[in-house]
Amino acid sequence: MAEEFNTQGMLDIYLFENGQLLERLQEIVLEQKDDDCFDEDSINEIFRAMHTIKGSSGVMMFDEITRISHKLEDVFFYLRESKPDNVPHMELVEHVLQVVDFISSEMIKIQEGGQPDGDASDYVTALDEFLDTIKSGKGEKEKDIKENVYIAPEQFYIAPMATSASHFYKIYLTFQPDVQLANVHAYKTVYALKEIAEDLLHYPEDIISDESAAEEILENGFKILLQTQSSEADLRGIVQEGYELKKVDIYECSAKEFQQGFDSIGSEIRIDLESSVEEIEAKTDGGMMYIAPDVQMQPAKEPEKKTIAPGDFVIESKEPGRGKKLVKDKPKKQEKAALISVDVHKMDMLMDLIGELVIAESVVLQNQDLKVPGLRLDNFNKAAGQMTKISTDLQNVIMSMRMMPLTNTFQKMNRIVFDVSRKLGKEIEFEMVGEHTEVDKNIIEHISDPMMHLVRNSVDHGIEMPDERAAAGKTEKGKVTLSAKTESGKVWITVQDNGKGLNRQKILAKARKQGILDPYKMDNDYTDKEVYQFITLPGFSTNEKVTEYSGRGVGMDVVVSNLQSIGGSLEIESTPGKGSQMIMKIPLTLAIIDGIVMEVGKSSFVIETGVVKEFIGMRSDMMQSDPDGSEFVMIRGECYPVLRIGEWYQLSDYKSDLDNGMLVLIEVEKKPICLFVDRLVGKQEIVVKPIPDYIKRVKGLSGCTQLGDGSIALILDAAGLVE
Amino acid sequence: MSEFDTQLDKYVTFKSGNEYFALKIEYVNEIIVYQEVTEIPESEDYIKGLINLRGKIIPVIDVRIRFKQEPIEYTDRTCIIVINVKDTVVGLIVEKIAEVVEIKQEDILPPPSATIGHEEKTQNKYVYGIGKVGENVKLLLDPDRLLKDEELNLLEQATEEENEEEGE
Repeated sequence: MAEEFNTQGMLDIYLFENGQLLERLQEIVLEQKDDDCFDEDSINEIFRAMHTIKGSSGVMMFDEITRISHKLEDVFFYLRESKPDNVPHMELVEHVLQVVDFISSEMIKIQEGGQPDGDASDYVTALDEFLDTIKSGKGEKEKDIKENVYIAPEQFYIAPMATSASHFYKIYLTFQPDVQLANVHAYKTVYALKEIAEDLLHYPEDIISDESAAEEILENGFKILLQTQSSEADLRGIVQEGYELKKVDIYECSAKEFQQGFDSIGSEIRIDLESSVEEIEAKTDGGMMYIAPDVQMQPAKEPEKKTIAPGDFVIESKEPGRGKKLVKDKPKKQEKAALISVDVHKMDMLMDLIGELVIAESVVLQNQDLKVPGLRLDNFNKAAGQMTKISTDLQNVIMSMRMMPLTNTFQKMNRIVFDVSRKLGKEIEFEMVGEHTEVDKNIIEHISDPMMHLVRNSVDHGIEMPDERAAAGKTEKGKVTLSAKTESGKVWITVQDNGKGLNRQKILAKARKQGILDPYKMDNDYTDKEVYQFITLPGFSTNEKVTEYSGRGVGMDVVVSNLQSIGGSLEIESTPGKGSQMIMKIPLTLAIIDGIVMEVGKSSFVIETGVVKEFIGMRSDMMQSDPDGSEFVMIRGECYPVLRIGEWYQLSDYKSDLDNGMLVLIEVEKKPICLFVDRLVGKQEIVVKPIPDYIKRVKGLSGCTQLGDGSIALILDAAGLVE
Repeated sequence: MSEFDTQLDKYVTFKSGNEYFALKIEYVNEIIVYQEVTEIPESEDYIKGLINLRGKIIPVIDVRIRFKQEPIEYTDRTCIIVINVKDTVVGLIVEKIAEVVEIKQEDILPPPSATIGHEEKTQNKYVYGIGKVGENVKLLLDPDRLLKDEELNLLEQATEEENEEEGE
């Protein structure tokens, strides 16, 4: 039985859901960081998010996370209930962000298989103090607000968005009186229902860690409130009477009743058990609670009568479960897309298969058997055209599946701007443009660090202190703009600030000191672009004081090398006094490259189109060789080294006759080289696949790919060849 | 009967040179007919190159060359046995697939320790036992050792150690 609940599955869900909650939380906080206080919706949302995190962390027994989220929940509970108007907003924002950071870091530990061993005490104390401050500021009259008591964690499941087609059910389970571990059985049922549930609540809430729950379930039955698209018959299929389950009752109810939650059930019981009808009901149903719908409204009308019961303070006729969805329901907020996470390997498999399908398709459509003269193929061609269209669509869809919007990465930058500007005492407005631009997932992973660095640089070095800005006649508030757009097959991500810009003189002086400049060249001989490129050299920083964030001269070179590793580049533009602009140009995807297919002997090779400068028809009189045997060609007075691919890889059957071959001039980082190949085949988009690990690394090869006819071509690594 | 049971003691045998070799069937993914191999430059001579197995690119090695036997021309009868050893998928080019046989545990003898000639010695590297099937003898192959290049391994270990030192 124990193996029936997979704790890894639960952990995954825990991490996923809470990760999303935290992201959302951070988003809300940053959105309203400049206002005087949080609006009511946000307070409610933060409160609910914290409550959910607290509950699920309690179930997973991550005590410190539970503790800290409980504390923050307390604070927001107070804010929500007593609406104090003298809350130091900035301080609150920082507290929330600290908690988010703490929980995020703990979750990373959990994700990596470790134990969440961080100590939340400092934060808890800080929050306590903060709570005291706002409470004392508020005066006596709020004293009667009941304290948010820590109670046993509840379980919530975040479920897909509700639609109008949803049904609401009340499910009552009665177990055989002699069943052992009734709470575990109850949990099994909850787990099964979760698959179809849009929203699900159950009572008793704590069926995992609370041992007394088993007794309670046996005595009073187990109650589930379920919102789902499924029909009652489906539910019956999932929850079946059987060995342990004595009786299953499913009642459809209205959304309104559903929103009453268990609170109503709980209170209901207290009230209704006194009535004789209920007593009879309870007896006949074997200890099960059935609440007549008409009496249900009663407790909601008199909430003050309630005693504090598990989950009370949150449910409190507040539409249980609905809260989590409010985020989505609000039209002004961005719609969160319904997402499922899929194993990347499965995606790769699908991509492989689609690739195969396209090849198989061309084998069929170009089949020799069809070339019989006089064959009427009209219908065939029509059908074939249809099929080609579908397979092309299929290819496009799978490609787009690998793409992700930059939104999340951009959000993170928002946080960085906020943190750094606060620490440095600068006022900065952060603007995001085109954050929905989509890029390959792999690329996102690679550009996150460089982007962070550039943003930090802009805030730290670019934007001046407020008084400086005022003196220069600018607004005191600086502005950093992060924008993304697709242009000519690449994504351009620009970090722009309206700060002081790069100081040409300073950079030049520093460069001269470091001996980078040509001593015979005047300062003026360098173009702005050349000068700005100096800052991307290792160990180059003109900032006199090293701050926590930047100035050590490590960084810009890392940014550039990171970008280069994915085939991107960095451009720097700057106007003194007006600000600077860093443009990262990165390819849309790593998986597909535009390549030139060449043949040498029987082998096919591919080289990235981007590095190819020129194709030259070869004549033997162009070739020169020096006494060492290394060869080079003269093209328009310039001299280029030549690499004969066939010879280099010791292939068989390659053309050694110079007059029939082709030269491909490639250039990487200003180092040109000519490749001598037999024949050019054409330009093609190719899917890059790694060379199997079993084969050891071959110099100058970066991968392999499949050509249209199913044969394999090797991808030449231009940078490796140049070396 | 579980899948494992039906596979127990079953071996795929193939001919290479004059001997018959046997591979435990659980390692074998499939057997395909020979297809054009794309050469990989600068690799070991027994690694013939890469083939495209329904979109998956896998390396293939020539068993004859691996056993230091004379290479032969590939014909229609040449087959590729696709094996999966610890998640490494590799194709083995063999001269001729013989059959699937059952070799009981008690019919397996340890390989002869005496080295009669040089030939025998090199083969022992890959053979972990000798199975009797009727009058015939099959050499049981250890696929792990077949794939691994001992020299390469030593080299890898050495570089790993170096890296660790650098890391410190």
